[in-house]
Amino acid sequence: MDMGKGGGDIKLCLTLYSFSWEYASRKLSLEEILRKAKEMGYSGIELVASQMVPGYPYPTEEWMGYFSGLLEKYGLEPICYSAYIDMGIHSDRDLCEEEIFNFTLNDMICAKRMGFALVRTQHAISPAIYKKMLPYCKKLGMILAIEMHHPHNPEVPVWKELLSIMGESDGYLGVVPDFSIFAEKPHAFHITQAIEDFGGRPEKVAEIARRHQDGADEDTLLAGDYNDGEKTFIKDVFHTYGNGKANLGWMRELLPVTVYIHGKFWYMGDDEVDHTTPCDKLIPIIKESGYKGYIASEYEGHHFNPDTDTQEQLGRWVRMTNRLLGV
Amino acid sequence: MAAFQSYNKLLLGGGGNIANIKAGDAVIGYEFGVYYPSYRGTFLSCIESFAVYVDGGRVPDGDIIFKLNGKECLLSQLPELYLEYWFILDEARIFVLKDGGLQGGGHDVRVEMRHRIPYTGYFGSYMVLDSADERVLAAG
Repeated sequence: MDMGKGGGDIKLCLTLYSFSWEYASRKLSLEEILRKAKEMGYSGIELVASQMVPGYPYPTEEWMGYFSGLLEKYGLEPICYSAYIDMGIHSDRDLCEEEIFNFTLNDMICAKRMGFALVRTQHAISPAIYKKMLPYCKKLGMILAIEMHHPHNPEVPVWKELLSIMGESDGYLGVVPDFSIFAEKPHAFHITQAIEDFGGRPEKVAEIARRHQDGADEDTLLAGDYNDGEKTFIKDVFHTYGNGKANLGWMRELLPVTVYIHGKFWYMGDDEVDHTTPCDKLIPIIKESGYKGYIASEYEGHHFNPDTDTQEQLGRWVRMTNRLLGV
Repeated sequence: MAAFQSYNKLLLGGGGNIANIKAGDAVIGYEFGVYYPSYRGTFLSCIESFAVYVDGGRVPDGDIIFKLNGKECLLSQLPELYLEYWFILDEARIFVLKDGGLQGGGHDVRVEMRHRIPYTGYFGSYMVLDSADERVLAAG
C-alpha cells in the first residue's frame, strides 16, 4: 500500500508533528521519524520548525544541510515549513509589526535554505504585514499561507480581509484549512478524558454528547443535572465542536485560495471512520473542486493519550482518505 | 484546556538524578534536569512562574539558578529572556544553592511551572498552562 499516494491531483504527505510525543519524549529521533515516514509510503513531509529544528529560530547552515541530506537519504520532499506568530513572547506587550515581519522573513529564509517552497504561518501576522510579505514571496519563489484553525473560521472578521488579500496574490498567498474547523463531536479520547480526568459519570458523558448532537444549547445543558466535571465537559464540547454541525460551505469558500490542507484527526478506531470530523463529506468536496495539492495527515491524539500507536492511527486515516478519494 | 497536559510528564521525565555540586572540596548545592513540557519549544520569557519543592518543602526562589543554552539566570530574570529559546530536546539544569547538598538516597522532587502559550491569542488572550511533575530522584 502506498500511503502517500492519494488520488490523482491530490497527494498525501505527513506532518512530522504527528510523531510529537515520540520525538519530545526522545523515543524517536528526527531521522527515525523520517525513516518511518518513508516506510509508510509517504513521499513528502511537513516540518514544525519550533519543534524539531535545533537552534530555532536561527538554525545553523550546518544543521540545515544535515536536514536536507536526511530528506535526500530517505527520498522525501520538503513540502511545508510550519511557522508560528509567537505574539506573546514578551511579558508586557504583544509583538510589534517590525518583529512580526522579521520573524516571518527569517522563517521564509530558513525554509528556502532547507528546500521548502511553502511556509505556513498564522492569522496573527495581520493583513497589513501579510501584504508586505508578498514581494518577498515573489523574490524567493515561495508561497506564504495562513492556517485557519479552530476557533477561527471564515466568518471571523480578520479572515474576510486575509482571504481577499490571498485572492489577489497570483497564488503566492493562500490558506491552509485545518480540519479542526469542521470537528462536530467528541472523539474517543475526549470522552475518556471527561470520565477519567474530569470525573464525569460515563452515562452522563454519553448523554451530554448525544444531547449536543441533538441540538440542545449550552445553557440548557449547563442547567441540567450534571456534576462539575460534566459541566467542564459541556463547556469543552461547545468550545471545540460548536453547535455540532460542520459548516461544509466553509470548505467550498476556502478552496479557491487553498494551497495545502491539514487533515487533522484525534482518533481512528479499527472501523477506519473519523467519527469526529465529517471526512466522508469533506474529502469528496475537496476532490470535486479540482484541488491540486497536498493533504497532510495530522494526528493530534498525542495531546490526550501519548500511548497510542501513532503509526497505526496514521495508517487508518490514510486508508480512509484514499477510500474517500476513490484510490 | 487539559488537552495539552499529557506532556507534563516530560518535565522531570529525563531519567536523570540529583547531582551534588562542588566548588573545590565544598558541596555548595545540588542540581537536576528539566525539559519543557510541550510538543514544541518556547522562549524563556513565556515562563510566568517556576516553583521547586524538595521533600515537601518549597525551595526559596532566590536559591535557584536556571541554566540553559550555556547561560545561567535567576527565576526572576526569566520574564526578560525573550531571545532565549528552550528547545524541547534540551535539558535545562536547575541548580539549588544548599550548603552540603542533599543526602544520598531518594528525594521527592516536584516542579510546578506556569507558562504562556505565545501563539494562542486567537481572540485577545493567551492560553496559560499550569504544568507539574513530581518524582523521586536519587541523590548521589
